[in-house]
Amino acid sequence: MNKIKVVLRNRGLNVVQGRYYATTKKKIPDPDEEESLPIFQYPTSKSSDRNMYSWGLAETGALGIHMPRGNKNRKQYRNNFSLCWYPMRSSFAERFDVEHIAAGYGFTVASIKTNEQHKVFGTGINTDSQIGYHAPRMGHPLELLLSPAPIFLPYKSLETKIIGIDAGRAHSVIVTDNEGVFTLGNNAYGQCGRKINPNEEYKGSMVSYNIKKLGKEKIASVCCGQDHTLFITESGKVYACGWGADGQTGLGTFDNQAIPALVQGDVTSEKIVKVASTVDCVLALNDRGELFGWGNSEYGQIPMKSGTQQVNMSYSLREFTRGLGKIIDIAAGGSFCLIVNEAGDAFVWGFGLLGLGPNVEHSKIPKQIPSPLFGRNEFNTESRVEKVACGIGHLAAITNDGHLYMWGRNRQGCLGLGSSKDQYFPLKVSIGGFVMKVICSVDHSVAICKPFT
Amino acid sequence: MQKLQLTLAIIKPHAVSNPVVLSFIRNLLKNKFVVLRTKRVNLDTKTACRFYKEHFGKFFYNRLVTFMSSGSIDLHVLGHVNAITLWRQMLGPTSVYKGQFQEPHCLRGMFGISDTRNVAHGSDSPESAEREIKFFFPDFSFYHWRNHDEEWFRKGPIIFNDHHFQHVKRL
Repeated sequence: MNKIKVVLRNRGLNVVQGRYYATTKKKIPDPDEEESLPIFQYPTSKSSDRNMYSWGLAETGALGIHMPRGNKNRKQYRNNFSLCWYPMRSSFAERFDVEHIAAGYGFTVASIKTNEQHKVFGTGINTDSQIGYHAPRMGHPLELLLSPAPIFLPYKSLETKIIGIDAGRAHSVIVTDNEGVFTLGNNAYGQCGRKINPNEEYKGSMVSYNIKKLGKEKIASVCCGQDHTLFITESGKVYACGWGADGQTGLGTFDNQAIPALVQGDVTSEKIVKVASTVDCVLALNDRGELFGWGNSEYGQIPMKSGTQQVNMSYSLREFTRGLGKIIDIAAGGSFCLIVNEAGDAFVWGFGLLGLGPNVEHSKIPKQIPSPLFGRNEFNTESRVEKVACGIGHLAAITNDGHLYMWGRNRQGCLGLGSSKDQYFPLKVSIGGFVMKVICSVDHSVAICKPFT
Repeated sequence: MQKLQLTLAIIKPHAVSNPVVLSFIRNLLKNKFVVLRTKRVNLDTKTACRFYKEHFGKFFYNRLVTFMSSGSIDLHVLGHVNAITLWRQMLGPTSVYKGQFQEPHCLRGMFGISDTRNVAHGSDSPESAEREIKFFFPDFSFYHWRNHDEEWFRKGPIIFNDHHFQHVKRL
């Protein structure tokens, strides 16, 4: 069509410049041709599709996006990267229906909907066999997986479904509907729920441990701190095992706990629906939206009258959160905590870049992060924060519109905002989908999205 | 020319089990210091208690000891004219949560997870460096170091042995 235009435009000049020779043949479109052309129906995404986005440090392989590194002898890839500044869509989730995800220290675990043997996949650091045994040759296990590989777990029936998954510093925990919990990886503190063997070799181990029931009840969900594990049973009881040197296990002692035991203190009489822990501080939420906490309190995460820095029993934070209304979601970071109430307002306390301004600050009481920063304004009065997540120094919030906001310490680009600078206030991350869940790890983040339509 | 100072660097378990972090730290050690000895050990709780006996009674003593005995640790004897200060400067502030904002590009700011899991340990004075090196390397002779090796490692020629991860004399 452009060629025709050139010819037509130059026609007027012919008078002045003499003759003009068209180099191509004129093509006059046939008016009926349009109807005879075939119509292509391109596939559109279904609302049941799930996309997985990941960003942060790619060198560990935790993103599951593997671009071979170029060198002189091999082809140089254009995206030969070690960091990923922006959310990158994972091709693994395009091939499988990803359901649950979890991110540990330099590794990612994802479960898929299937009736086959391989239900759980892992990628990233594997020095403690936290994502199973993978060896190209027998006896030479891989320390690092750059793309997702299936984790072998001894299911009794292939109909078993995965209902939850979480990962700590060097262990991962998989919850199934009928067969209890499978734990893999490092057990130096008893975080896998089995007896501690000080001489155990974790690299290249094929051990997975199965906890069928706790107190004759099925396990409903699980939450991993860096070196401890918390289980919630169907009736809302909390069990803990692993490192207890900061009181993270809530058992009234500071010792390592190998066998999961019931958390002591105020949560014993409550029905707990959610437990949140990233490093050493633990928050719990009961069915009436009340907050409980235990573990590390060096920065005032679990404020106690006695000013103790290590809380080894669960305490109710009802007085502390008075006036905030019913709490719907909680997250505990390294030195701060983040909660959301029913009205969709986010509150934060502790130490760090809390999103309240350009200074690193220490807040002893819950402070609200101004809701206009999460997109609530005169034109969009309905915008509410619904889910929150915390990494070690960074925080994330998801609104009811599926927007993801992140802020805090930007370690290795884990905020996904396109730079390595720390972010002082919540800023929207550019993800091409409705964000359903975000997982923040030490130096990478993973999100599950569904299409906008 | 100033004499070489010695310091002990201990890479803590979570950094040893992360290949990306470990290779970064090893690159740093290899290029900035003279690495005299390297050893990878698994501490038991008793040894860790003896090593950290100066912290006994502090609230973090228990968690420090249990953490140090939870996995393999790398021990390096490092030499440099200013080894103690340089290594501690590279590490940055002890508290990760506070230090990561003050000095974001030090080792602890980049790779530390919490105040206990703070990547590495460095001796704080020449006396404690000597005590700590004697604790972990009983066969390391300070007499021999002062009278023979020190001059050689200062003037060279030395090469780096990647297999043992230490500098050796080039014969």
